[in-house]
Amino acid sequence: MNEIIRVFKAGIYKDNPVFRQILGICSSLAVTNFLANSFVMGVGLMFVTAFSSLTVSVIRQFTPKHIRMMVQTLIISAYVIILDIFLKAYFPAMSKNLGPYVGLIITNCIIMGRAEAFAQNNKPFISFFDGLIMGLGYTLVLMSVAFVRELLGFGSLFGIQVLGDNWVNWTLMIMPPGAFFMIGIVIWVTSKWFPKEEEKGGAKA
Amino acid sequence: MASKKKIIAPVMFMLLITILYTSVLAFINESTKSIINEQEQLRIKRSVLYVLNMESTGSGDEINQRFDELITVRDVNGTLVYKRLENGVATGYALAYTGKGLWGSISGYIGFSPDFSSVLGVDFVSHSETPGLGGRIDEPWFKEQFREIPVDDLETIVIKPSDGGNIDGITGATLTTKAVVNIVNQFIIDTLAFAKEANL
Repeated sequence: MNEIIRVFKAGIYKDNPVFRQILGICSSLAVTNFLANSFVMGVGLMFVTAFSSLTVSVIRQFTPKHIRMMVQTLIISAYVIILDIFLKAYFPAMSKNLGPYVGLIITNCIIMGRAEAFAQNNKPFISFFDGLIMGLGYTLVLMSVAFVRELLGFGSLFGIQVLGDNWVNWTLMIMPPGAFFMIGIVIWVTSKWFPKEEEKGGAKA
Repeated sequence: MASKKKIIAPVMFMLLITILYTSVLAFINESTKSIINEQEQLRIKRSVLYVLNMESTGSGDEINQRFDELITVRDVNGTLVYKRLENGVATGYALAYTGKGLWGSISGYIGFSPDFSSVLGVDFVSHSETPGLGGRIDEPWFKEQFREIPVDDLETIVIKPSDGGNIDGITGATLTTKAVVNIVNQFIIDTLAFAKEANL
């Protein structure tokens, strides 16, 4: 139980993949112009991280140490392809919006990072949970960035217009620079909120 | 140097896990192939119905039914021509186009009246324009402007406020608007030649 709480805290803020480990920045910049896109991306990443961590953990005792990265990459790509096919078949519009970023989950350092830093040395259940929570930490950051970007850039939330007609869309927010500003602000604010206890930290990319 | 045994075991392990995962993926791919294909077809059908100024919303079944009832597809020299027939009379043609946008290619469908004297509608199926700027070509108000525009041999679409302008551009997306206008105008010229040649 203690371990679950520890993993939970680590994923959400202490060792958050985006603002503490600075991983997965590429996709955080790219898909955060709409809340819906960020949500699907986040859920997708949670799925992939959780199941690849689970698989890596289950086979950790049989995997020859020196080829473990190859095995991890294979496992991760398999889950990403499953996700990609699933989106294409059942959510074609979302698949189109996310474009190449679904496939690029394979290269998202968060997943490999968790497989290496956690799943490789821990039991399957807690690894699965760790992957899930790390994905959740990523999703929360993405959603908060997307919240501001979509609100200011389109005047809408989840595609529903919330700001009135006299709101002038702040186009900068939905263009790439807006993402850089927002991620910078998130990292700045969170480092004030959750000061580092000591300089040893968790997994480094 | 690794001993011989340490090479064989990892290779076997890798081979085994690769075979396992590949077969799982192959199975999933095979079982969803038809659904994905259907989704893509549906998008094309929606787009064709839209440019021919027909109801293009509704469930997949409705779209399929309407499409099969009214549209016939013909392959003319490698180009797919979608023809709308009502009571045996052709009432419109739709053709696919692709052209250069600001950031990448823009593709979609354009609908014509049966004598190719006017444009019935334009739709964009894929593009990579900036969301919120050029990406707004997807918005209904922009696409609806292309309805029932008489075809001109040289320049059918003209951006307002030029003389004879018939389309409002998108604020902040001048280049995308220009690219779209060029694509459509060029496509109209090409289509007129194509239609004459193919005797549509």
